Amino acid sequence: MTRLWRKAQPITVQTNGRHEPIAFTWRGRRHGVEQITRQWRTDVDWWRERVWRSSYKLVTDSGLLVVVYQDLLTGDWYLQRLYD
Amino acid sequence: MYIELHTHSNFSLLDGADHPETLVARAAELGMPALALTDHDNVYGAVRFWQAAQEAGIRPIFGAELTVGRRTAVAPENDKNNVAADDSPTHHLTLLVENEAGWHNLCYLISVAQRHQPKGQAVLPPEELIGCTGGLIALSGCRQGEIAGLLRQGRRRQAIRTAIHYRDLFGPHNFWIELQHHYRPGDDYLVSQLAGLADYLGLSCMATNNVHYAQSEQSRLQDILVCIRQQTTLDAAAHLLRGNAEFYLKTAEQMATLFADYPQALTNSSLIADRCRFELAYGLQDLPHFPTPGGLSDLAYLRRLCQKALYEGYNSSPLPDPGLRQRLDHELAIIERAGLANYFLIVADIVAFARRQGIRCQGRGSAANSLVAYLLHISPIDPLAHGLVFERFLSDERRVVPDIDLDFESERREEVIQYIYQTYGPAHVAMACTFVTFRARSAVRDVGKVLGLPPNLVAAAAHSLDSMETAVNVTPNQQAPLHLLLDLSRQLEGYPRHLGLHSGGMVVTGRPLNSRVPTEPAALAERVVVQWDKEALAAVGLVKIDVLGLRMLSTLTEAVDLVKRATGQALDLDILSFDDPQVYEMIAQADTLGVFQVESRAQAQMLPKLKPRCFADLIIAISLIRPGPVQGNMVRPFLRRRAGLEPVTYLHPLLEPALAETLGVILFQEQVLKVARDLAGFTAGQGELLRRALGAKRAAAAIRQFQADFLAGAQQKGVSPDVAKQVFDQLAAFGSYSFAKSHAAAFAVIVYQSAWLKWYHFEAYYAALLNTRPGFWPPAIMVNEVQRRGGTVLGVDIHHSQANCTLEGKAIRLGLTYVKGLGEGQIEQIVACRQERPFTGLTDFCRRTAIGRRLVERLILAGAMAEWDVPRRQLMWQLGTLSYKEEGLALADDPTELTLPPLSQAEQLLAEQSVMGVSTGPHVLSFYRTWLDANNILDSRELAATPHGRRVRVAGLLVVHQSPPTAKGFHFLTLETETGLINVIVRPAVYRQFSPLLLTAKLLLVAGVVQQEEGVTNVLVNHISHLETDLRPFG
Repeated sequence: MTRLWRKAQPITVQTNGRHEPIAFTWRGRRHGVEQITRQWRTDVDWWRERVWRSSYKLVTDSGLLVVVYQDLLTGDWYLQRLYD
Repeated sequence: MYIELHTHSNFSLLDGADHPETLVARAAELGMPALALTDHDNVYGAVRFWQAAQEAGIRPIFGAELTVGRRTAVAPENDKNNVAADDSPTHHLTLLVENEAGWHNLCYLISVAQRHQPKGQAVLPPEELIGCTGGLIALSGCRQGEIAGLLRQGRRRQAIRTAIHYRDLFGPHNFWIELQHHYRPGDDYLVSQLAGLADYLGLSCMATNNVHYAQSEQSRLQDILVCIRQQTTLDAAAHLLRGNAEFYLKTAEQMATLFADYPQALTNSSLIADRCRFELAYGLQDLPHFPTPGGLSDLAYLRRLCQKALYEGYNSSPLPDPGLRQRLDHELAIIERAGLANYFLIVADIVAFARRQGIRCQGRGSAANSLVAYLLHISPIDPLAHGLVFERFLSDERRVVPDIDLDFESERREEVIQYIYQTYGPAHVAMACTFVTFRARSAVRDVGKVLGLPPNLVAAAAHSLDSMETAVNVTPNQQAPLHLLLDLSRQLEGYPRHLGLHSGGMVVTGRPLNSRVPTEPAALAERVVVQWDKEALAAVGLVKIDVLGLRMLSTLTEAVDLVKRATGQALDLDILSFDDPQVYEMIAQADTLGVFQVESRAQAQMLPKLKPRCFADLIIAISLIRPGPVQGNMVRPFLRRRAGLEPVTYLHPLLEPALAETLGVILFQEQVLKVARDLAGFTAGQGELLRRALGAKRAAAAIRQFQADFLAGAQQKGVSPDVAKQVFDQLAAFGSYSFAKSHAAAFAVIVYQSAWLKWYHFEAYYAALLNTRPGFWPPAIMVNEVQRRGGTVLGVDIHHSQANCTLEGKAIRLGLTYVKGLGEGQIEQIVACRQERPFTGLTDFCRRTAIGRRLVERLILAGAMAEWDVPRRQLMWQLGTLSYKEEGLALADDPTELTLPPLSQAEQLLAEQSVMGVSTGPHVLSFYRTWLDANNILDSRELAATPHGRRVRVAGLLVVHQSPPTAKGFHFLTLETETGLINVIVRPAVYRQFSPLLLTAKLLLVAGVVQQEEGVTNVLVNHISHLETDLRPFG
């Protein structure tokens, strides 16, 4: 089953020179990024409440398949989706 | 190295979000040595793009993104530019021009795609590509490309077949698989699929970014444009928007990151760019060859025609002046170097056709600087007699083709257009286009809708744009949307919105037009329009001939005809000698209502001060009241100097030769050239370039360069930098908002001819004015003017009126066309029936003409059935009793006799006004006159005799309300009374106080102070009220 949080989970992220995540920490546990499988950017609803994100679907070294994103307005990172 | 080869400017209408110049500037900033412009199915912006690229020092690559597919009877539901339109029956193909053959093919393909299609829905049937791919490089397109579309649907086998088809069509070296990555879901997959397909077929990939704006911030405007195009709001348009802001011009590094796995795709962009070397250049001009007798060259034949005219017709001297021959040789030499002899022959032929057909015409504008144009009867002005400079028209330095603007009687302009089509063939003739752009106000409306804002907020924004004041009545939580609205609207101002038809610019080419520049259908049936406007045509050297309609020329012809019919006298306006003192006296007294160009309120204020006495004065009169002289504060000094009230001085003695004729001030465009020549040593051609730069919108850099050259040139002539700077500033303030002397001279001919007719053939001239309505004043004022001068205007009459106004002895009879809604067929019916036998009464009229009840009502109210001597109210009653078959009413004629009170004079006046817009009865103010006299309220004659400074009250019908931008908030009203017109000046503060009243009231009572100045009377107003609140004559 896939977990999609209504309110995305804050995470701390380590990035490489291209600002791509190489590891993140969620609920105190560190997950290394094994592979980024997809990457996309969203910039919508700017006339109301702007949603501006850089999202990554990635596989962690612990075998998790997740979607994380960085809110480009604040710079904060979030875990949005966790696939089983 | 990366070069962007897929770019949309805002000429991808309502899709691209930046001007071509902005895109070029950004590409140059990013270090791109070249850039391609590939707008949707058009090259609208190609010339501006080319010019900007030249200025920025980068190489422009021309192209277009074509919509290819099957045409459907109904427009495709999915918009062609809609990125989400996966199932669209059409797809995109990017084409780049490699060489001249490619340009011709691109123009042809776009023209075919546009042909027979509604505006903005061009579709190229795929088979049209066959045989037309030479010189073109094809890229497989965006997500909307045929191959990308098939791959996204999982139809790989079909995608391969399609790629093979395109490869075979364009050749393996000219067809490239286009990769795009915009960080959108699915992009990784599509890029890998496309690359895999290319690899499989041995094709090469190249990368583009499908650019729609220079920098990512502009993506908002792009969203707005998409919504305007789709007529929806942002909230409702999520599926139409791109979802992010990645469609901007990216750096080589950014693209390298995106295509890290396909580095060759980036390198290939440079390889392709390097192959595209086509340049739009001066020399595309390709007029049809004009057939010359005896195998003479164009120039030899032109020379022969001019010399013949010189010997036969120029003045009356036996041999032409050597100066004339010298001037002719000089002009012909420049015409030869520009390769324009053929052009002159073609234009002269058009004029000759018009003259053969009796269509009044004459050249206007800079062509009147040319002796050749004068000798060929293109222009009515002898340039030497007026000191006109040929280089203002054509010069060696200014390497663009001049326009010859021709005015024809507006009623018969179509005959001339048809002649040009018939002579050169429809494949060789088209109209120039114009681009209708967003204005601040229209942008606010459009953007407001897209943002889904309430009407009150949009109105507040529009108001704040107009008044430059902060919007009022806006709640605190509306401030942010208001600012967003204003910000976006201001950005949108000047963006092209849709294509229009130039008023008369015709492009004629020897080779089929659509291999030179794409064409598309015009809104007018059977007409095509080229995809460039007049500036673009001039920039690339494609000749445009302006075939313009001028109503005043129709008026002149009509007046001459009326005189002939009434008196048998055949007038020839072309032989008038421009020296009749009585005509000038009439003009000097500002008795100019109805006279071409000098009838406005502003002219009427100026003429008594100028007191024109000769033709040169007329040229000055129509040049003075222009924004250039007005804003440059030239008018008052000129008039004072002319009246001897101040001395004629010059900022430097070198200016005297150029400005002596205008007493030291700059009035004409040509004087810019002369001043630049005398003070700074500019050649005539350089001077013309300077003049053009001063009037151009995007020429700040060019003006700076000219200023530097001007100051340096002046210094060499010993002029102090301060004086040189002052003179240059005067030239800049003068700008281009002025008449060329040549243009004013050509127009002055019509001023004189119309004034002469007014003076000597008043009734015929006013009847012609009422028929053709060429000018500033509405017919009602014209009718009143005739009556004020003691003339008679007879009402519309079913027994006597023709369609148009005619003369009955000295009286003017109004035509039946004045009755609103009465069409040509119905008028013919009335005339035909009365020729059989006179109408005996209303029933007879209705039965025989079968004109509908509503129109008969209007004829009754207009007084058109007065001959039966039955009151109008009685006739209306009778009409109500008649049975009209089509109404299905089985009412028989009602024989009941009923006596009704007749309409009062005032009621008749109102009725006539409502059905005709004019009345031949007494002036509305005459009903108030007794009361006005009793209350010491002056009419226009009494006002004119009132001393300066006296406090007065006047009343009148508001007929003109002006607030020109140059008037700094002042408003000017013209009130009409039964004795004449009254000029009223309203200061800004007074206007603010009374503006609501001025929006609604027509009959005004004004209190103020008389201003008398050199024969001109004004009332400087203190108080305005509605006359009817003081007295109700009908009640």
